[in-house]
Amino acid sequence: MPPETTAQAVLGPTAGAGAAVPPAIAVNTLTKRFLAPDGGYEFTVLDRVSLTVEEGQFVSLVGPSGCGKSTLLNIIAGIERYDEGSVALAAPSGRAEAEPRIGYVFQSPRLLNWLTVQQNLEFVLEAQDIPRPRWRSLVAEYLDRVGLGGQERNYPLNLSGGMQQRVAIARALAIEPDILLMDEPFSHLDAITARKMRFDLVEILQRAKPTILFVTHDLSEAVFLSDHIYMMRTKPARIFRHVPVDIPRPRKPEDAMIFDLEKVLIREFFSVLEAKE
Amino acid sequence: MRIRPIVSRILPGAVTFAIGICVWQIISLFFVPVYFPGPGVLADRMIAIYSNPASYVVVGETLSRIFEGFAIAMLTGTAAGLLMGRNREIEIFFDSWIMVLLSFPAVCWAFLSVLWFGLSQAAPVLTIVLIVFPFVVMNIWEGTKAMEKDLIEMGRVYKADHALMLRKVLIPQLMPYIFSSLRIALSLSWKIALVAEAFGVASGVGQKLIYWFQDTRVDMMLAWGVSFMIVMVAIDVLGFRWWARRAFAWRHHFAT
Repeated sequence: MPPETTAQAVLGPTAGAGAAVPPAIAVNTLTKRFLAPDGGYEFTVLDRVSLTVEEGQFVSLVGPSGCGKSTLLNIIAGIERYDEGSVALAAPSGRAEAEPRIGYVFQSPRLLNWLTVQQNLEFVLEAQDIPRPRWRSLVAEYLDRVGLGGQERNYPLNLSGGMQQRVAIARALAIEPDILLMDEPFSHLDAITARKMRFDLVEILQRAKPTILFVTHDLSEAVFLSDHIYMMRTKPARIFRHVPVDIPRPRKPEDAMIFDLEKVLIREFFSVLEAKE
Repeated sequence: MRIRPIVSRILPGAVTFAIGICVWQIISLFFVPVYFPGPGVLADRMIAIYSNPASYVVVGETLSRIFEGFAIAMLTGTAAGLLMGRNREIEIFFDSWIMVLLSFPAVCWAFLSVLWFGLSQAAPVLTIVLIVFPFVVMNIWEGTKAMEKDLIEMGRVYKADHALMLRKVLIPQLMPYIFSSLRIALSLSWKIALVAEAFGVASGVGQKLIYWFQDTRVDMMLAWGVSFMIVMVAIDVLGFRWWARRAFAWRHHFAT
């Protein structure tokens, strides 16, 4: 039986390292295999992947398409099983509940088109057992934060792609998550909208401060947003590099430091990807 | 300005309809009205039916059977179709049984129901359920498989329980299939109901048909058949289409 994701105290090697507060997300030598369609042959989607996200950090996971990044997020979210290793999630220190609340922003908005914007947010509030009297203020607050105040009664199909993705972000934030998982949330948007959304995300997150694991294939996006970057490769699907990003905030996408780090990381990426040929 | 397109849309149909009525009237002149009534005679008989209060009791009896059978078939069929679409084991188990039910001759069910349940309310209702159920299952089953996995995954990530998932994620995606099932089920139900009544019970519109059949009164049989058809088409058009337009309003809703 493959183990399920648990929210107990951390079991990984980082736990005993003198840290009083367990990391929000601790993934330790996680391995996940898929059976090939012809049966028998196994395809390793994640090969002994380890990473740590401390409470309140913004951590990016960067890698080429198909390297298992989304699978890792799904395992952390608890909707996919894994074969070996461990995943431990911790609620913020000083909170009675053991289970951290998880918000998830997908690549596409994944809104319920038959519900209004407000009802879409209420769906997750109901799912997370958040008391009904609080709904109205939570919906208003987080729609306002993503710049969609006044759109409560509109239907998703009347909104542009960028606005739909904002609704999806508001939905994830409305449950006031401890952990926010984001899976290439801006990759379906045009460059200008995506850029604006990145700025807004930084802005929004200054107030709500969840722990974030952000998956992307865009290195400049990762450098601009993150405190730490994990770089992943395919065949084998492993993390090969962990880079702390010590560029002071607030950052601008045109900062020379961001460009420099991006250049270094891109060079490293290509050397790793070419080495495997 | 807006009259024109409406006229041009209705006109061709109205003209062919009028021509049909004329041809029918001409042919009917060569026959005795009770064997082949013309439109005038038929309208006359229908008015007689509509103006007799007892007719409404007869129609009411048939309608109650139709709706009982129809409701039972819709509810059980939707539940079974959903389960089959969502669960591989249940699907494998029931797959061939649904095919058997679908292929079994409908008239046999009508006879069997009478033999098993006698001349009771249960016989026509059971006949309807047995015939309509597999159609509903097939339709909903197909709809369940066509649902978006991404949205179900979203619901699971946010830990929506089964009831919430059903209400807000699964059923809304099934609505087009539920509506097409409703309409198929209704049109099947009322036709089966008449057959089952003719064989099995001494009441309802089906009994009227068999009564006039034994008297070789084609005019009265047609008058009953057409009258009842009008009732059922009205339910379909005024009830279901109106409801469907409301249910799918979100597709056409635009910001004000």
